[in-house]
Amino acid sequence: MTVGLNHYLLLSAVLFAIGFFGVLLRKNTLVIYMCLELMLVASTVALVAFSRYNNTMDGNVFVFFILTVAAAEVAVGLAIIVALFRRRQSIDVAELNALKN
Amino acid sequence: MPHLDLLKAAAESNHWMAILPELLLGSLALFLLVLELVLPKKQHDVIPAVAIIGQIGILLGLLLRLYPSFNGQYTFSGLLHHTSNGEFMRAFFLLSSTFVCVLGTIALAKQKMPRIEFFNIVLVVSAAMMLLAQSNNFILLFVALETVTVGFYILVSYFRTNPRSLEAGLKYLITGALSSGLLLFGIVLLYGVAGNPTLPGSTANSMDFTALHTFLAANPNNFLAAIGIVLVLSGVAFKIGAVPFQIWIPDVYQGAPTPVTAFLAVASKAAGFSILLILMGVFAPYNHLTVTVLSLMAMATILFGNLAALTQHNVKRLIGLSGVSHAGYLLIGVIAASVLPSNLAGQAVGAIYFYLFAYLLASFAVFGVMTHVAGGDDADQELEHYSELAKTHPFLGAVLAIGLGSLAGIPPLAGFMGKLLIFVAAFKAGLYTLLVVAIIGVVISIYYYFGWIKAAFFETWRAPLLEGETDPRPVRTPVGLAAGVMLASLAVATVVLGFYQGSLGVWLLNR
Repeated sequence: MTVGLNHYLLLSAVLFAIGFFGVLLRKNTLVIYMCLELMLVASTVALVAFSRYNNTMDGNVFVFFILTVAAAEVAVGLAIIVALFRRRQSIDVAELNALKN
Repeated sequence: MPHLDLLKAAAESNHWMAILPELLLGSLALFLLVLELVLPKKQHDVIPAVAIIGQIGILLGLLLRLYPSFNGQYTFSGLLHHTSNGEFMRAFFLLSSTFVCVLGTIALAKQKMPRIEFFNIVLVVSAAMMLLAQSNNFILLFVALETVTVGFYILVSYFRTNPRSLEAGLKYLITGALSSGLLLFGIVLLYGVAGNPTLPGSTANSMDFTALHTFLAANPNNFLAAIGIVLVLSGVAFKIGAVPFQIWIPDVYQGAPTPVTAFLAVASKAAGFSILLILMGVFAPYNHLTVTVLSLMAMATILFGNLAALTQHNVKRLIGLSGVSHAGYLLIGVIAASVLPSNLAGQAVGAIYFYLFAYLLASFAVFGVMTHVAGGDDADQELEHYSELAKTHPFLGAVLAIGLGSLAGIPPLAGFMGKLLIFVAAFKAGLYTLLVVAIIGVVISIYYYFGWIKAAFFETWRAPLLEGETDPRPVRTPVGLAAGVMLASLAVATVVLGFYQGSLGVWLLNR
């Protein structure tokens, strides 16, 4: 069996779904954060596969931009999580309920 | 050496002068950091003034057309497309970031916080938004959008000693990153489908909007492209806060520092609409799909925003949810612009920009008053805090009444003209169901806007303070000069623009 474009796309869709439902269902902020990164990685897999099979370079170049953006997001995101943990001693989203009407 | 020739041809379209305002803004942002290093601590108060005056200078350059004009051209190998709409949005974002800086000086004075980074990030975010409004390529769109979003993560959680600000930052981070993921996956699908060599009209440059539009016109019923379009629109809907992507709005608006809330409410929403207008042009061959999706969204957005705002006591949540309903009215304009034939669509687009401008004036008037009335805890701003505002500060009371009246769409204020123009465009496009929903929404909105005005103007009975109890209302200070000038000019502009639209109206509506 040869691995074709559809296999890569299926892998990417599965990764994306795991990430998406992980963000919606998990309660630990760090796990949610990992799921968000998983969604970006899923897009990257599909991007590289498309780039290879369509014979265009744009996709490969775009991957570098996505990696950079993801790194910036992680830097800011982890800083916020650490600052919040210092104040509240918890990173469980169920306990983040100080904002209400 | 064919490669060298290719590179040379690509470099020839790099007209750096075309993005001079953005470059100046970015340099100004860096210059602020340099000033912080160089100046002694006592003189740090001049840095916000440098930021504000610098932005006004760049804005004047735009308005007086001092920068070389590239109108109608594609630069940077088609990454950017310079249009008069893009010019308008550039001025719009600069104006709002200037106001945010003025509000920032007031809000930061009430907190013990490092100051200069705030202005630095606001300027960088504003420059990224200006690029966003002119983007013509998905790579540039994604990178500029992420610059804006990551900047906002920092700004929302800027008051890092306040757990509520941090909580708002984390909520914005999770929902924002989720929507970026959806947007990115949509972009990837569109890129992959449009580059597929076996399909008619396939293109080697499928990140480019012009090439993508040609491809979509040749394949009007492609399933993967349709999924990609829906995912991209979901990512944009998050930015404008349209239902069902509005869940973050009340919490984030409440927890964020008030100037940042204003920035989110005005500039971030306008950025979403400017890219939505660009993308609706690109996705025009799929109008049968996009118009249905957006119509359902618009209806749900208007009804949800207005009904949810009815029960709010916290003014930041109230203005956030009322902003959701404004996004709904603007969506009607976007739908009208994509349904109408091209000779009338220009007017609908002009109506959207006029509405956004009226919304900017009114929102900053209201947020200016909010920043001023707020106490030490920025997330805690209740309707009761506004009692007797008109008695102690008649000026602030008047500005608040004009701003809220304009948001509610009371004639003859600017907000009324904006709503009227959008509704006229929707009527011409035959969107009668949406019009009925919008009018119901406007009627509901009058109730909560006037509830706020009532709190500020009419005396209500308050329980006498018990011994040892302090007045829950924050201490009110006199209005400073810069804030006073800003609020007065916003109020005057809101009133004048309702009567007389001048050359702005001519430029926006006669096309």
